[in-house]
Parts: sequence; C-alpha cells; structure tokens
Amino acid sequence: MYNEKKLIDKLKVIGTFAFIPLFVFLVVMILPLLLGVVMTFTTWTGFSGSLLEFRGFENYLIAFSDTGFWDSMKITFKYVVLTLVLTNVIAFGLALLVTSGMKGQNFFRMGFFTPNLIGGIILGFIWQFIFTRVVVHFGEASGLTIFSYSWLADPDKAFWTLVIVGVWQSSGYMMLIYIAGLMGINKSLLEAADLDGANAWQQMIKIKVPLMIPAFTISLFLTLQRSFLVYDTNLSLTSGGPFRSTELIAMHVYNDAFLYQNFGSGQAKAFILFIIVAAIAVTQVKIMKKMEVES
Amino acid sequence: MKKLFSLLVVAALLTLAACGSGNDQTSPETSGSTGGGSAKATEITILMGKPEIAKEFEAAVADFSNETGVKVTIIPLAGANAFERMTSLYSSGNAPTIMMMASEFETFKDRLLDLSDQPWVETVQEGMTDFVAVDGGIYGQPVTVEAFGFIYNKGILDQAVGGDFDPAAVSTHDEFRSLLEQIDALDGASAIHVSPMDWSLGAHLSNPFFAAQSSDRDERHQFMQDMLDGNVTLSDNEVFNNWLTTFELMKEYNSVKNSPLSPQYDDGPLALASGKVGLWFMGNWAYPQLHEIDPEGEYGFLPVPVSNDASHFGNNEISVGVPSYWVIDASQSTTDQQEAANAFLNWLVSSESGQNHYVNNLNFIPVFDSITVQPEDSLSLSILSYMEGNNTLEWMNSYYPADGWASMGASMQKFLADNIDREGLIQEFENYWKNAKK
Repeated sequence: MYNEKKLIDKLKVIGTFAFIPLFVFLVVMILPLLLGVVMTFTTWTGFSGSLLEFRGFENYLIAFSDTGFWDSMKITFKYVVLTLVLTNVIAFGLALLVTSGMKGQNFFRMGFFTPNLIGGIILGFIWQFIFTRVVVHFGEASGLTIFSYSWLADPDKAFWTLVIVGVWQSSGYMMLIYIAGLMGINKSLLEAADLDGANAWQQMIKIKVPLMIPAFTISLFLTLQRSFLVYDTNLSLTSGGPFRSTELIAMHVYNDAFLYQNFGSGQAKAFILFIIVAAIAVTQVKIMKKMEVES
Repeated sequence: MKKLFSLLVVAALLTLAACGSGNDQTSPETSGSTGGGSAKATEITILMGKPEIAKEFEAAVADFSNETGVKVTIIPLAGANAFERMTSLYSSGNAPTIMMMASEFETFKDRLLDLSDQPWVETVQEGMTDFVAVDGGIYGQPVTVEAFGFIYNKGILDQAVGGDFDPAAVSTHDEFRSLLEQIDALDGASAIHVSPMDWSLGAHLSNPFFAAQSSDRDERHQFMQDMLDGNVTLSDNEVFNNWLTTFELMKEYNSVKNSPLSPQYDDGPLALASGKVGLWFMGNWAYPQLHEIDPEGEYGFLPVPVSNDASHFGNNEISVGVPSYWVIDASQSTTDQQEAANAFLNWLVSSESGQNHYVNNLNFIPVFDSITVQPEDSLSLSILSYMEGNNTLEWMNSYYPADGWASMGASMQKFLADNIDREGLIQEFENYWKNAKK
C-alpha cells in the first residue's frame, strides 16, 4: 500500500483518508454506545440536567426481574427461529426457481423483490387491513371459521401474522443474495458433474450448497439481525396486542423507556439485548466461515 | 499496521478533545446571539398535540399573527411520544414557547412560567386548574374539557323505549340492563359496541371505578394511594364489584361478542352513527367522525352505572376532565417571547375572533366564563348539561402511573375475550397496583 518512511508523511495519509470516517464512526457509534452503557448505572432520565446519581446494578436487577421482559424475549426467540428458517428456505427456493430458465423469470424476480421496497410501517397497515377486513370477508363468504374472525384478536394467530408478514417482506431480498450466489458458481463444475452422471439433487447438495456458503452467511446474518430488531411491522400490524402478547423485544424496550418512562431499566434491557444479539451473530458468522470451501 | 492503528486512534481522540473544548468556548457566544436576536419581531413556537384539529389550529394561529404581528411556528407532534419530543427539544436548547402538556407536567414544572397573574385566570371555571397548581401558582391554561361515557344514538334509543329517550331515566344496573334488552329487541340493531383498544378500556372505562369511590376529592385520592400501598382487597370493594358487573353487562350485550378484540377504532363511529348499535363507550372527540357519517344524527351521553342505587355517586355523572394544558416555557424563552405567548393564550379565550376559533372551528368546549360563543352540536350540549348540573366525575386516570392504562387495559382485554374470569381480573389489578412505580 503506502510506503511513507517519515512519521509526518504517515500522519498526512491518515489525515487525508482515514480520519474523517473514523471520527464519524467514533462520534455516532462508539460514543453513544459507551454513553448508553454509562446511563444504565445511573438514574438519568434522558433529560439534560436531570439527576445523575450512581445506582450500580439496580437497573439491571429491575430488568432481570421483570417478567414482561422475559415474556417478550421468549416470544422474540420464537419469532426469530421461525422467520429465520422460513425466510431462508423460501428465499432459496425462489432463487432456484427464478434461475432455472423458466419463462418470464425476470418478471418474477422483480415481483418477489417488491415487498422490500415498501416501508415496514405502510406494509404493516396494508396487512392489518388484509387480516381484519379481507380475510374476514373471505371467511364469512366461504364459511371457513378459521378465517371468519380477525387474526389480530387472538394472541397465537396475531403472532403468526407477524411471522407471515416478516417472511413475506424479507424473502425477496434474501432471494437476490442467493441468486448472486448461484450465478457465482463456475459453470464448468456443474458441466463436469453432469458428465460424471450426477443428478440434480446430488449437484445441489455436493456442489451448489457448499459453494454458496458465503451467501448463506450473509442471508442468515441479515435475517437474524432483522428479526431480532424488528419494530416497524410490529407497531403497525399488532402494536403489541392483544393484551401485550405480541410485544417483540425492540418494542418492549422502547415502550419501557419512552412510554412508561423507565429510562434506566429500558436502557439496561437494550444493552442486554445488544449483548445477546451480538453474541449470536458473531458465533453464527464464525461457524459459517469455517464451513466455507474453495472450488 | 498496529502502529498505524494506534496512531489513528490517538489522532482521533486528540481532535475530539479539541472539538469538545472548542464547543465550550463557543457556547456563550451562541446563546448571546439568540438573546440579541429577540430585538427583531418576536417569534414563538407552539408544540401542538392534537393532530385531528391541526388545520383548524393553523387557521387560528394565522389570524393571531395577522392581528398582532407575532410570528408563530407550529411544531406538530406528528404521532411522536410527547414526553420524548419535549425532552429532546429541551435538551437541544430549542424548547417551544408554548406546549400542550398533560402528564408530562410533573417532570417539566420547574421550567415553566407562572401564569397566575394572567387575565384569563379570573374567568376559568372552578377546579379546572387543580392539576397545574403548584404552591399557589398556576402553571397551565386548560385547553378544553373532554368527556366520556356511553354515547347513545338518540334515534335508535327513541325507537327502543318507544318515545322520547331521557338519559336521566337510566342510572342503575337494572335500568341499564333493561335498556340494553330493549335495544337488542329492535330489528337490525345490537345493544352496545365496545371498542377494545387498551386506552379506551384501561384509561377511560376504568376511570369511574376510581372516581366513584367517593364524592370527596381527598378520599378518592387516598383510595388510589391505598391501592399503590397494597392495602386494598378489591374483592371486598363494593364500587369495584359493581363496576365489574357493569363491565360484564357490556360484555354480555356486546355487538361483536364472537370476537370482542377484533374491532378497530373506526368500527365504533360507523356502528353507532349508522344505527347498528344504540350505545358506544367513547368520548366527545369522536364527534367529527359521527357527524361525517350521519350529519343528521343526534347523540348524547349516558353515565356508566356503578351500582343499583340511583342516588349513588357516579350513577348520574359522566367523566369530564381537562386532557391537556397550555404551558409557557420560562427557562429558554426570552421575556418578549413569554409575553407574546401570554398574549396568544389570552387572545384565544377572550378576543372575539379567538373565541370564534375556539368554539366553532376547534370544536372546544369552553371552560372560561369569558367565552360567550356557545357550541351547538348535540354531544357538546349534552356535556354542558352535565357540567351545569355539576354531575361530573374527576379524571382520576391523569394520576395513574405511566403504564397504568396499558397494564389495566391488557387485563380488561383478557377479561373481554374470556381469557380470564372475574377472579383473574381482580388478581391482575391487585398485582399491578401493588408493584406499580410509586
């Protein structure tokens, strides 16, 4: 790269290229994170000039002993596992479908990707309309009892509406990543496998999937992070209801801090969430890196 | 590479430190310059929390600007949380001159202007400023009053009782039940629509239970304190049990009994104004929508009965209260701005054009004797008649802990959807209050 010998030259290069992004990164990412962690040990209420009293681990104790927090955590884990599996299975399937050379595959690619272009809030409201009006009308007309009442009124079904909308929204995006992965596979490998008599399934398991590990790493990481921190569709679709049973963790943290004004415990919960998500994401990426192979 | 990195970090930290101290030096200058800026025409800002009347309020403010030359900027809350918005505006040194404040008052009261020497204070109706009175000073001007209870569709109820319906004739459980039966017997109409939103149940429907505990203000506030201290056994509380019976009646005659948590807010006005139901538990803020669906419709309020004894406190009263107050910032606004803000608040309730906007365009119900313009819609008239007879219940929900309505609302939703029974509801209420933030 650069071979500056003198210190002053080195500093010049750093000042020219690295300083600004590093400074911005520090100011908008690292500092707020540190300040946030400091906040969890005090009585600060987010109000400048409010009492800054050191309270030790009190906020964490409140957070850990809050059953609502753990209920939210439980339901969020359930949501993450379901969306993670469903989104990636569907996205991979779609990717295979639209790269198979079928008629009009570009049109389908576009169609599957479209849900991503709609903001989460709007999307939630559209689906809310579908679940409370369209589906109910359909149920009443067809006599199917499962559809004749709003799904958003029942805790279990309301949870499933969240999963359905989440999967519907992200699978198109993940599909694009898988398409890129599929396109990146060297054609000569597949041709050689064809000559050796490997059938489509064997080609998939032995060649395509191992070579696409980087695509899986990215897709799984993105779905994991998106599902853990989802807030917009949660807010516009169910707003946590009925009776706060579909309050995912991001919404729980926000409500605790800003709606019920428990800044300390809310911030502590946010930090706990950060640790959990970071640990899971880092482990996932590490494991996946080991699985990568070269062709 | 490592060396390079550590160099980078050191350089970044150094500049950061430099920037920090630089800020300190410049801050007095900047604050000085804003002070000097007030020599120009006064500019004030208003943080406004009622999106449903935003257009009308803009028109009122425009008239005020034309008359006085004060430039007014409206900061809409736009769905954000009021407490959060005020906190960030204050922290950034941009506190609005006038704010619409409710439960946030407790936190911000030290930074507000004492308004007790203002002319409008003389004309405000009794008890309306209790919430914002601190140590003999009055720190807020009531925006308006709002009321909630059972809104009835007079057309449907006239049919049901076979004559002219009189709300005073229904004040006990038995009378309420027979009214519900009468409406139910009509062709094509159900008795009551219950909106299952947690704020409607948890903050509004729960209010009579606290407010009707006693006609004495101190006693009912003591009751709430006892709830917080965990000294109340709800199953022994007469008012609570009777109130729960009313809730059970609502549940029994609910028009959407099969799926009580399905309805959205908009289903309420549609059901009531189109005559599908006779009663709807809601407040007068729903009037614009009712009016839009059926401009000919006549509506009124019916109290939520809390016992079988017609003379019992609460059976002839509806909940009337001030949902929010106009307050003026004193810590970051200049004296000129504070004066202009006071001029605006006085203009709104005492000048001719201000009063016209207040009653006719903003649809506010006057709480000032100085206002001579009277509202004309049926729902406002119903509220005024309750206010004149002094038949009002206090809004005890202003004193709930911050998550009170959400938690009680959730329990009441469970009860409505048969998720828990009477005992379960009592248990959840007691648990919530015992563990609530004091």
